[in-house]
Amino acid sequence: MKFKIVFSFLGFLLVLLIGLPILKILFSTDVSELINTTLQPEVYQSIGLTLRASLWATLTALLVGIPLAYVLARGRFKGKKLIEGLIDLPVIIPHTAAGIALLAVWGRNSFLSEISGLRIIGTEAAISMGMFFVSVPFLVNAVKTGFKLIDERYEKTALTLGASRWKAFQTISLPLVKKSIFSGSIMMWGRGISEFGAVVILAYHPMTASVLIFERFQNFGLKYALPVTVLLVLISLAIFVVIRIFEER
Amino acid sequence: MNIEFKNINKRFQDFALLDLDFQVRPGEFFVILGPSGAGKTLILELIAGLIKPDSGIVTGIDRKKIGFIYQDYWLFPHLNVFDNIAYGLKVRKQAKQKIIMTVKEVAGQLEIGHLLDRWIDHLSGGEKQRVAIARAMAISPDVYLFDEPTSSLDRNLRLKTRKLFMNLHQDPSRTFIHVTHDFEEALSLADRLAVLMDGRIVQCGKPDEIFNHPKTKDIADFLGYRNVFSGVVRDYFLQLEGIAFHVPLQSAGFAYIAIRSDDIIISRKPLQSSARNSFYGQVEHIFNRSTLVEVVLNIGVVLIIEITRKSFEEMQIKLGDQLWATFKVSAIKIFKHD
Repeated sequence: MKFKIVFSFLGFLLVLLIGLPILKILFSTDVSELINTTLQPEVYQSIGLTLRASLWATLTALLVGIPLAYVLARGRFKGKKLIEGLIDLPVIIPHTAAGIALLAVWGRNSFLSEISGLRIIGTEAAISMGMFFVSVPFLVNAVKTGFKLIDERYEKTALTLGASRWKAFQTISLPLVKKSIFSGSIMMWGRGISEFGAVVILAYHPMTASVLIFERFQNFGLKYALPVTVLLVLISLAIFVVIRIFEER
Repeated sequence: MNIEFKNINKRFQDFALLDLDFQVRPGEFFVILGPSGAGKTLILELIAGLIKPDSGIVTGIDRKKIGFIYQDYWLFPHLNVFDNIAYGLKVRKQAKQKIIMTVKEVAGQLEIGHLLDRWIDHLSGGEKQRVAIARAMAISPDVYLFDEPTSSLDRNLRLKTRKLFMNLHQDPSRTFIHVTHDFEEALSLADRLAVLMDGRIVQCGKPDEIFNHPKTKDIADFLGYRNVFSGVVRDYFLQLEGIAFHVPLQSAGFAYIAIRSDDIIISRKPLQSSARNSFYGQVEHIFNRSTLVEVVLNIGVVLIIEITRKSFEEMQIKLGDQLWATFKVSAIKIFKHD
């Protein structure tokens, strides 16, 4: 009984630490103000852009991240630790630094920009790229852990039954890690939505929700930034609660 | 066509398979017997082509026609029993109707027809094993590779499974390569036997040859049973060269029997006792084994008898002595029989 009480109390402290600021901003904004803010094109467009850009980043990461996660989980090769460290790096470095690194590669007159002919800085693609860069470790690491937990002998058994490596991956490995893929994607998408540092360097305009909040706070103060903040919090909370319910089912 | 291992070498981080050189004949039940960690599963994976040897070659196997049953079965947990059994047929793109027919047929043979809609989590150990066998059988393999498939089952189920394997073996087109650490299982099933120790095949031959003439002390220690004989059991007797053993079965056709070397009593005079097997013979060899002594007595066939050093000294046994060997019918274990 004591054990339960102590753990519940400590857990509740954490919930309070996260919940209190959220509750505070929710109660600092009245409903009419919230509705007015929602109806402003600048606001709903920036929230739409944020959700969309992060979704593109996540979908792209699924395409390249799942194969990488598989190789890292199954493979034994030189340089593996280095690649794993590189994948983890965006979690540690300041995201403004990540933005600057991306700008150096994709900015005007940069090498990649020159050879590809792409001018992406200041576009939705740049926002997605920034979000991708800083949030892809969440997906790759979750899926890598998923693959590691699945015994290789499931795949070997499929091979002995006549499946090709592709077929074994598609019909056995992939379905067995679907939960890890799902939760990794959600974490990445969510992390992308919240990104500010890298995005603000790569594309101040079009404005993502986090940049819009920052701009309103800088130019007009807390009161003006609050309704957009509350709106973003409510939308994110609703999405994540629905996803968690869906995940459990 | 024989499956041949030709000078196979395979090195892993802290383990190696060395100079594997043996053959498995078509239709044979070939058992690889070895302690845990000897590399038995790796041999099967080499046969299945799942790992490549560093040197040497495995020939005589069509890898599309093997049925591999791992120790832990590795049934696909996201598929139900039907889809597990159908997996090999689906990847071969067989017609839906044929898949349904084949799955039902093998499930019927293995008495798991009622489980087809179940999820893997809801099966018992024995049921899982049958599903794994059915999954392999569905693709009609020429060669079955069994990786200690009975090790996680209780004794009853183990005996049932052995019977099942023997039934499957009735079809002469099926070859079986079975790895185990359990010598009872090896004796029950093997046409021929290979002993694997420390990554090497140390002895290969018929079970009675190996058990009665282990090449090294390590092999003898690992095998445990030393007196293994084969013959036809009729009217509670196993007939051997000029002698007959009383056995605990009325009629078993061809059978292997085994007697532990420490279950045999030796004496200078015939014993008045309830033991039904008593034979007179001559001491041919004496081997010192620290606190124990191994006496090899020729009674028409060779019996290996283990006694304590103290008994050996008190009886003053010498080479050429004539002694009596006595053991109870219940000391005889009957293994493979028709």
